[in-house]
Amino acid sequence: MSHLKLSGISKSYGQFNALEAVDLDIAKGEFVTFLGPSGSGKTTTLMIIAGFESATSGQVEIENKSLFGLAPYQRNIGIVFQNYGLFPHKTAAQNVYFPLQMRGVKKAEGLRKAEEMLELVGLKGFGHRHPKELSGGQQQRVALARALVFEPSLLLLDEPLGALDKNLREQMQIEIKRIQRALGVTTIFVTHDQSEAMSMSDRIVVFEKGRIQQVATPLELYHRPQTRFVASFIGESNLIDVKITDAAKREARNDAIGAIQYAPSNRPPTGSEATLMIRPENIKLSRNPVEGRHNVRMKVETIINYGDNALVVGKVGEQMMRVRVLGADVVIIKEGEECCISWLHDSVYLIAK
Amino acid sequence: MNRFLRWLGIAVAIFIAAPLVIVVPMSFSNARSLQFPPPGYWLGYYQAYFTDWSWLRPTWNSILIASATTMLTMVLVVPATFALVRHRFRGKGIADLMMLMPLAVPHIVMAVGYYSYFGSFGIVHTHLGVILAHTCLSVPIAFLVLSANLKGFDRTLERAALSLGASPTRTFIHITLPILRPGLIISALFAFIQSFDETVVAIFISGRDAETLPRKMFDSIRQEADPVIAVISTLLFAAVILGVTVPLVVAHIRNKQARLAAA
Repeated sequence: MSHLKLSGISKSYGQFNALEAVDLDIAKGEFVTFLGPSGSGKTTTLMIIAGFESATSGQVEIENKSLFGLAPYQRNIGIVFQNYGLFPHKTAAQNVYFPLQMRGVKKAEGLRKAEEMLELVGLKGFGHRHPKELSGGQQQRVALARALVFEPSLLLLDEPLGALDKNLREQMQIEIKRIQRALGVTTIFVTHDQSEAMSMSDRIVVFEKGRIQQVATPLELYHRPQTRFVASFIGESNLIDVKITDAAKREARNDAIGAIQYAPSNRPPTGSEATLMIRPENIKLSRNPVEGRHNVRMKVETIINYGDNALVVGKVGEQMMRVRVLGADVVIIKEGEECCISWLHDSVYLIAK
Repeated sequence: MNRFLRWLGIAVAIFIAAPLVIVVPMSFSNARSLQFPPPGYWLGYYQAYFTDWSWLRPTWNSILIASATTMLTMVLVVPATFALVRHRFRGKGIADLMMLMPLAVPHIVMAVGYYSYFGSFGIVHTHLGVILAHTCLSVPIAFLVLSANLKGFDRTLERAALSLGASPTRTFIHITLPILRPGLIISALFAFIQSFDETVVAIFISGRDAETLPRKMFDSIRQEADPVIAVISTLLFAAVILGVTVPLVVAHIRNKQARLAAA
């Protein structure tokens, strides 16, 4: 049974449709990420759930009860904002106590609960500090504690890691997951960072242009993207436009590469246009053709070395190709040379147009 | 060049501060009228000020009028500022302009206007008349200070409070108001000072009953150059210095304590 249910949510500003018919079910305790570029509608959806924006049409339900007509303060939803929104005139403990105070909890008991929650987020002994006396990561933890202390039916995180540097970010990703698991709170996390989405989520909802493109687990999203946009947004990919020449034999044709075979798929009919996706790590680089694989010759244009691995970018005819190789393997090739790239038929994934 | 500029800066500072330095010794002078340097020193004119009702009454009037002006100004300005800063509505541009108009119109023009206009209501020469006129002059100043504060206010804080279960009213009381408190205090202080300091309008409409301190000083210096003026100037000067330094010192001590507590 779904805990949160969105049905047919649309939002338009005059002629512009910010959201179009968004449907979504989220189970109790699930960690769901809204992923998409800025302006894709993910934050708008979040604000509609929180009650700060009203949908033009559609329903938001929690435990089968509609939230229609409820103001944000009546919804019992915890939110962590991008810049945290900590009250500067209150200490960390008073910040965390605030939602309890608003619910009529006595001061002594409320402050004790606040301290407990601060301990859970790893800030034991920091209760008396004001927000400006805390680091970015600590402020983040206070905001999280404050959004969780009143046992909300839903936790919303609006790009909360955007302001942190890379190391701290990874640390907070782990922390947020740990706390979310410990409390079992249903969580929606908004981000435009795909690696963040991949590492944290039970399921990812990909937004583009006000529509949901795909809802899936991180691995499914990576290996079986349903649209070209999802394939290009999640991870790196080679996207090859083809025409299906024989659907029964799973054969397609690209002008530059020629005939390509693809993995079993839902068979769009012969003659239709489609896109084939090959992940760069599934392509092998060699001097000579490799038996049992599909081989084509590529002219290497750029090699970007990351140490443990390298990205080789080149062209097969007019088709740009990206190949990910292990750091040690890259020495066999130089920029400007020709080489052989090869892949297995099973790693060619077909995306219908 | 650099050196020249530095000396020029010091010279200008001295030139500007000179009246203050001259007024303070003159208040302790025993000369019959304002005279510098003083021939001798005594506290007689301080005694004269604190015992003479013709000085104490205008002082009281000024405090009363400035306090009432401040209250009335804030009652008008706080809601107006929220409306003008946070909402867009028809005629907002004109409303903005009207708020600031009294700053642009010369006080003397306003004074003549009040003199004839208030006359028709019979409130010239009354406290009420001066309070209303001063409020009109204080509103734009208080508005400017408060709107600058409100524009810098992070509205995420209000959203956060709402999401945490605070109704809009409680959000205002627990979050918006405390965070804006310094801005409100400064805004009110400016309103108070503008009224306390205002002379031109006061000369025109305060009359004998509502006579304010600046008006009394002006009359006095024209007629007899009574050194009590220097006493009042010194007292006001001292009040301003106290008003500026005490909060600074208190803030400094509090910071130190907070740092000690945190360590």
